[in-house]
Amino acid sequence: MPTGSPLPSPMALKRSSPQHSMFKKRSSQSLSHMASAASYLSALSQADARARNSNGMSPTSTPALSLSSSVTSSSEDTVLNEDDELDNGDGLVIPTRPPTSEQVFTTVHSEFGHCANEEYRCVSQHTPGTIIPGHVEQDPPYYILLSTYISYLILICLGHFRDFFGKRFNPSAYRHLMAHDGYAPLNSDFDSFYTRRLKLRMDECFSQPITGVAGRTIQLLDRYSPDYNHTQILTGTRTRALNISSYNYLGFAQARGGCADVVEETIKRYGVTTCGTRLEGGTSELHTFSEALVAQFLGVEDALISSMGFATNSNYIPALVGKGCLIISDELNHASIRFGVRLSGASVRTFKHNDMASLESLLREVISQGQLKTHRPWKKILLIVEGLYSMEGTFVNLPAIMELKRKYKFYLFIDEAHSVGALGPHGRGVADYFNVDPRSIDILMGTFTKSFGAAGGYIAGNKALIDRLRLRGYSGAYAEAMTPPVLTQIIASMASIMGVNLPPPSTSSRHGSVGPADEIYQYPGPVPASSLPSWVTLPTALSSSEEGRDRLRRLTFNSRYFHSGLVKLGFITYGHPSSPVIPLLVFNPGKMNMFHRMMKDRKTPIIVVVVAYPATPLVTSRVRFCVSAAHTKEDIDCILRACDEVGDILDLKHGIPKSERWAIEDIVGRAVELANA
Amino acid sequence: MASTATPLEPIFSFVVESLLALERAFYSLPGSGIIERYIRSSHQNDPGRTLLELILVVLVIRTLLQSRTRADRTGKSFIKFSDKEVDELVDEWVPEPLSLPLTSQEELELSSVPVVVGQSGPKPKLAATGKVAVSLSGLNFTGLAGNEHIKAKAIEALRKYGVGSCGPAGFYGTTDAHLALERDIADFLGTETAILYSQGFSTITSVIPAFCKRGDIIVADRGVSFPIQKAMQISRSIIRWYDHNDLQSLEEVLQGIEKERKKKRGPLTRRFIVTEGIFEKDGLMVDLPKLIELKLKYKYRLILDESYSFGIVGRTGRGLTELYNVPASKVDMLLGSVAIGLCAAGGFCAGTEFVTEHQRINGLGFVFSASMPPLLSVSGSEGINILRSSPSIFESLQENVRAARAILDRVDCITIPSHPASPMIHIQIRSPSVPTLHPSAAAHLSLKPSNPSFILPKDASNWDWDVETEEVLLHEVVEEALSQGVMIAKAQRLRGQEMVEVRPSIRLAMTSTLTKKETEKAVGIVKASLVKVLGKRRL
Ligand SMILES: Cc1ncc(COP(=O)(O)O)c(C=O)c1O
Repeated sequence: MPTGSPLPSPMALKRSSPQHSMFKKRSSQSLSHMASAASYLSALSQADARARNSNGMSPTSTPALSLSSSVTSSSEDTVLNEDDELDNGDGLVIPTRPPTSEQVFTTVHSEFGHCANEEYRCVSQHTPGTIIPGHVEQDPPYYILLSTYISYLILICLGHFRDFFGKRFNPSAYRHLMAHDGYAPLNSDFDSFYTRRLKLRMDECFSQPITGVAGRTIQLLDRYSPDYNHTQILTGTRTRALNISSYNYLGFAQARGGCADVVEETIKRYGVTTCGTRLEGGTSELHTFSEALVAQFLGVEDALISSMGFATNSNYIPALVGKGCLIISDELNHASIRFGVRLSGASVRTFKHNDMASLESLLREVISQGQLKTHRPWKKILLIVEGLYSMEGTFVNLPAIMELKRKYKFYLFIDEAHSVGALGPHGRGVADYFNVDPRSIDILMGTFTKSFGAAGGYIAGNKALIDRLRLRGYSGAYAEAMTPPVLTQIIASMASIMGVNLPPPSTSSRHGSVGPADEIYQYPGPVPASSLPSWVTLPTALSSSEEGRDRLRRLTFNSRYFHSGLVKLGFITYGHPSSPVIPLLVFNPGKMNMFHRMMKDRKTPIIVVVVAYPATPLVTSRVRFCVSAAHTKEDIDCILRACDEVGDILDLKHGIPKSERWAIEDIVGRAVELANA
Repeated sequence: MASTATPLEPIFSFVVESLLALERAFYSLPGSGIIERYIRSSHQNDPGRTLLELILVVLVIRTLLQSRTRADRTGKSFIKFSDKEVDELVDEWVPEPLSLPLTSQEELELSSVPVVVGQSGPKPKLAATGKVAVSLSGLNFTGLAGNEHIKAKAIEALRKYGVGSCGPAGFYGTTDAHLALERDIADFLGTETAILYSQGFSTITSVIPAFCKRGDIIVADRGVSFPIQKAMQISRSIIRWYDHNDLQSLEEVLQGIEKERKKKRGPLTRRFIVTEGIFEKDGLMVDLPKLIELKLKYKYRLILDESYSFGIVGRTGRGLTELYNVPASKVDMLLGSVAIGLCAAGGFCAGTEFVTEHQRINGLGFVFSASMPPLLSVSGSEGINILRSSPSIFESLQENVRAARAILDRVDCITIPSHPASPMIHIQIRSPSVPTLHPSAAAHLSLKPSNPSFILPKDASNWDWDVETEEVLLHEVVEEALSQGVMIAKAQRLRGQEMVEVRPSIRLAMTSTLTKKETEKAVGIVKASLVKVLGKRRL
């Protein structure tokens, strides 16, 4: 934004010259630039990292060796093309430990890490009888809370102070925020206060442009800001970093491999568009195939697909309920759900996040009171929850909700944007995880953006309902249909989890273990080859569902290991121990920027997502990690080590008492034990 | 009312006195004016914000005291029940079914949706018949669908980026491919910048509420499309309507608002004109230069939806601004569809840097959704390249449009509201007894303008068409044409959900890839089908 600000922001960390990334260049001259404590601390961590690595292996000793046995020929060129990356001390592109001769990996290590150790696998499954961890808010020491409030107060006061003087001494910088020429400002200085005075300070954590695949690693387009984050300038260089930020749970963000090959074939055969909306001639056979496959995957009668996940909620919820209906919504539901709810015209009530007692008392109240004013009974009550909350990492307490549903007769809508693929022994989401019959849930919604490396969303349920939605949802008539490459990515990735029955029918229909005997829903085994377009051929690793199964189990291991690792290190985290989304509480607004910076400036750069108000409550600013099946155990080790160091420097360890904490080497050494605890 | 002096009077006067004193004291404090203005203005714009900052202080106190109290239900109409009564009420309550099964008409509608096998484009193969049809329904105006250059670029992008972006734009979902398409669109149109959304529909429903808030004024055309209606509903702004594509009526409405404001001496609020370039509902085209003139004169901001004109009209497809030779920078927020105009996916909003940057934080569909697959933005960029370098596309497109209109304009059982240059042609059934407007009737009608507070125009009572019968007839036409090898589509509407019912129509989309001969032949079949089905009706 070119919105010149009169006074320099004392907290914006300024980089003095484009090429000079003071933390990457480990030259002595950078000392002169250490203007702030932040830069000093950061440089410290750099020096540590350097020291640690100096006794490691020499960086370029392995490539030839590992290339020959571990990377398929097609991927060689991606690796070798990246001339800037032959310096491979960090193990991002080429595994630090070369594979043995009998290990064959078919993925590109930088996209999907090589990990052959069968010990590093877990099954994602609820053990019946155990309690489901609710949303516990662990409070930090008072001084942290206090300093957080004070930080915000200072920030706000300072912001107003700067606005006050800025407007007087540099009015031109505020012109666009004030009424001028008879136009009211598009965005007044009040509305934009948080953006200008708080977010701008930490803009370097946001909207970082990247290139290439957002897989296990990611390539950042380096940038710097000469004017306290008002403009960001790309330097033209790139940095490869370990990626624990993308919603790539099952690691399907890949430019190489079986799925990508099929997508390439699709583009050749179908092009990139279907020319229109679903109901006006934009329906392709690929839509039919993938909708049927999604229904099979989820174990329900029918499903529909829409070209954007956000719009799946916002455009279909209004087709379910309207005036005279009530929506009960978890207080932390996603913006897209709230958007749809507002469009629907139904009344809304919210209950405390994942709190079943609060939900039940609300249900009793609304059913007994009926509609506002008239007290007529509600036409329908729709409960909308998410399977896995993307900011908290909590799982919805599905068993309890099913219990309530039997008693209170509401309809249930579960947004499985983050949970589908990521949870459950078969990867079918929360219903699978808790072993609940998916057909007993009225509406299953989810997105393909996350686990499947595609885009868009689905709604699944019984046939009559889905047919109704096809006609009455906004998308069918007014929004573009999903494009063929995306459809094929969905088909290929889902099929590789389910497995495909090749003509001689194999009997390997059992995968994973199935839960208790009383309420077993058996997910259909491999799909018949006829469920896929005839020209689609998947490599055996995919069609046998071996790789798919591996992805599910790797993700669970990584999530459980990483989560317990952070807890054992003493951090405050939220969420379910098996959740692939792991928020680490940072509290102080100032620390978020630092955390981000210090992780990124390490020898092995790690990129993280930081979220603060307004996406979270004011005090509970957090770092959000999204673990992926693509990570190897070494990657998780590396991230834990980084968190350990950064956590010490930033004073973030306020979780379990010191006596119960483990040393980082213990955690790394006993990872399997931790993950299976 | 206290008509006689009561003993309470001294107390009242004391309270009033002291309040006044307090107020005076407050205003005598230095800086109080600012505080007052701050609270007032922030309260008006976003009551939540004032609250929030208040709460901030309260929170500190609260955490120190740690007294968690839950608000209880003390609404006026709250009825107290015992637990047992509640249980009974719960038992008694029977919800309506979640959805009603489809009617036979709806089943028919759904089952006759054509399914394309393989490449979509001018000559798709249909799953139902296994035969190739000529498509006049696919939105492939410039023939970019199936273009081999685009395919090659898309495959290249696939091998570089994979398929999904796996993250919202704010969190590592912005690739250089997205930045490139944003830059390409801005360059192409001649605006400062552009911002990409991952779906056309959501572009509109995100952009409008990002700027138009409660208390703002939107002046909108009565014929705006469904997404715009929904976007305005979300915005909670005050909406005033002007007659469909009638800029005279627009000016009257603008004058009316100005007069009202002067009278009320209300504060200056944000004011927007929202309309479409080529209307999705009927293919009419707005008179852009006149619109710009009005917008500037009355100091409104213009939100122009060019979903059906960007990439479709103009010498090189830059849309209405090119057609009318108006700089695109004169349009404050120019919306377009990458899915329709460039045959990829998503939509964009072009404007000044301020306008787009604002959306990167406030556009809901931008912030809370994954960015579009990079390979689709690469396809979009390549689409722009092709449009830029081959103006002949638009010559053949317009030639086809003229050819089609030459045939259709002579069919007398239909009316075509669409602009002669619009490649999207809507065909409506001509009402059997349309009285050619009696001069005196016309004069009578134009005396009183429609009420700008309502979307229904004044002549709505004269509408003599019946949605259901016309839908059935048009469905027959579509089937008839399909049986002769021409795929056309009825324009789909969500009946009962549009703010005003839209007259059923068949929507033809011309394409530059068909030759003039092919177009004439296909349109000829459409004409024959129309005559066959509608002619029957007359008898
Ligand atoms: C719960 C939930 N629903 C819907 C969405 C939107 O999905 P998409 O990014 O595919 O538009 C998200 C994405 O962040 C989400 O978290």
